[in-house]
This record gives sequence, structure tokens and C-alpha cells, in this order.
Amino acid sequence: MMENKNVNSIQLMRNVSESAFYVTELKLYLDTHPEDTEALELYCEAVKRAKNCIEIFEKHCYPIFASSADCECSWEWLTGCWPSEKMI
Amino acid sequence: MFIFAKMTQIPVRITNKNPKLASYILSQYGGPDGELGASLRYLTQRFAQTDKSGIALLTDIGTEELSHLEMVGSIVTQLTKGEGAKSFDKYGVGDYYIDHANAVYPANASGVPFNAACLQSKADPIADIMEDMAAEQKARAVYDNILRISDDPDVNNVIKYLREREIVHFQRFGELLDKLQSKIK
Repeated sequence: MMENKNVNSIQLMRNVSESAFYVTELKLYLDTHPEDTEALELYCEAVKRAKNCIEIFEKHCYPIFASSADCECSWEWLTGCWPSEKMI
Repeated sequence: MFIFAKMTQIPVRITNKNPKLASYILSQYGGPDGELGASLRYLTQRFAQTDKSGIALLTDIGTEELSHLEMVGSIVTQLTKGEGAKSFDKYGVGDYYIDHANAVYPANASGVPFNAACLQSKADPIADIMEDMAAEQKARAVYDNILRISDDPDVNNVIKYLREREIVHFQRFGELLDKLQSKIK
């Protein structure tokens, strides 16, 4: 995984944020509505979509999870934008 | 356990500098109605919770509040990044600079350090969840107060988002309370 300047990391991160937010909302809803089958289906779809968005982001930009960091040359986990830093 | 994700729920991208506004927003980091208190309250109360929905909700909302703590800390960091002692003093927050410089410290808007006396853990699900609902409303009220003062669009965008989350959490805790009360009946 190498940071690719040609892709829009802000847009790719937006996709990650939006898809992860949908998962969070459904998760809290399911905590108090565990038998809602429609919400359960939506949750499974939402998780798939979020995983896909994270995979695309990590492929083009930098690891979101330490477990995705590339081990080939140097410790890739240090790269990218930490939460306190402004993404450019 | 917790797994860290190098992202925030929505991006925190603040263009302007304003140490005074940062000192107000710091209250949602380490103040009595802030995100540190919220996450600590829920993640602590869940140990005595027996209802499965209750354990899940306290865990999941407590975890989300930790991510909000990180977002508030990020706003404070970006609002003060590169600002020196003179700037803090000019903005009227030289006293904060003397003790913490550009660091984020868990304190309220008037500098009182975080204190766990702002939260309870009673092993009484009704008492705990009612406190949690009140906590969500108090946090929402602080975000309202920040929005009454701040005219920074980048800051307000994130603050409005965090305010909305308090309302959703209040709703979910209310549903849990209904469930717990109907079990008693």
C-alpha cells in the first residue's frame, strides 16, 4: 500500500465515514429492536458496504486499522492522517 | 477489547485559529457533561447491567462517546495549532496557556479538571438509564450553548453533528428504559 496522490483521499474517506455511520446507526437501533428483520437485513448489507469502502481506502491511501498495515519495507502504520490532524 | 480506527465519524477539518473558542469547546472534552464523562459513565455502568440490550447499548454508545472525545480533542488541537503564548493571552486564555500551552487537558471551560463526581454507577438499571438520558440532554444543551457563541462554520459543522448524536442516544436509552420498566411490570 503506497499513498497515491492521484486519488482523492478526502472523497474516499467520506465514503468510509458515511458507510461506517450507517452501520453505527443500525447497530444502536438493533440493540433495542433485536427482532426487527428488516433492520437486520439492512445491517448485513451496510457492514458489507463499509468493509468494501475501508478496503478501497486502505488500498489507495493508508491503513485505517493497524492490522492492515503493510509489513514489506517499513512500519506503514505511522503514515496517513491521525484524527487530530487535518486531512489535506 | 477495543480496536482503534485511524478515522473520525465525520472529518474534523478546522481552518481558522481561535484559542478562546477552543477553551469553550474543551468543556465537552473534560467538563461535567462532556464526552469523557459520557464514555466513562456508560462503559462503567455496563458491568452491573444484566439485560442484554442494556449491556449492548451501554457498550456501543460508550464506545461512540470515546470516538466523540477524540473529535472534540481534534477540534481543540486544530483551533490552537501553531498559536503561541501571545495569541492565547490576546484571546483572553493566557491562564490556560500557562498550565497546558497547546496541549489538550481534560478540564471544563473555566479550567476545573475532570472529576468523576459528575457521574454515577448504581447497579440499579432504572437509576442508571435515567441518569444516562439526563446526561444526553445536558450534553445536548452544552452543544447548543457552543453554537450560540461560535460563528466558525468548520467548528459548527462538527458540533451540530455531535449534538444530533446526543438526541439519537437519548432516544435509544428511552427505548431501553421502556423495555426495562415493562419487564418489571
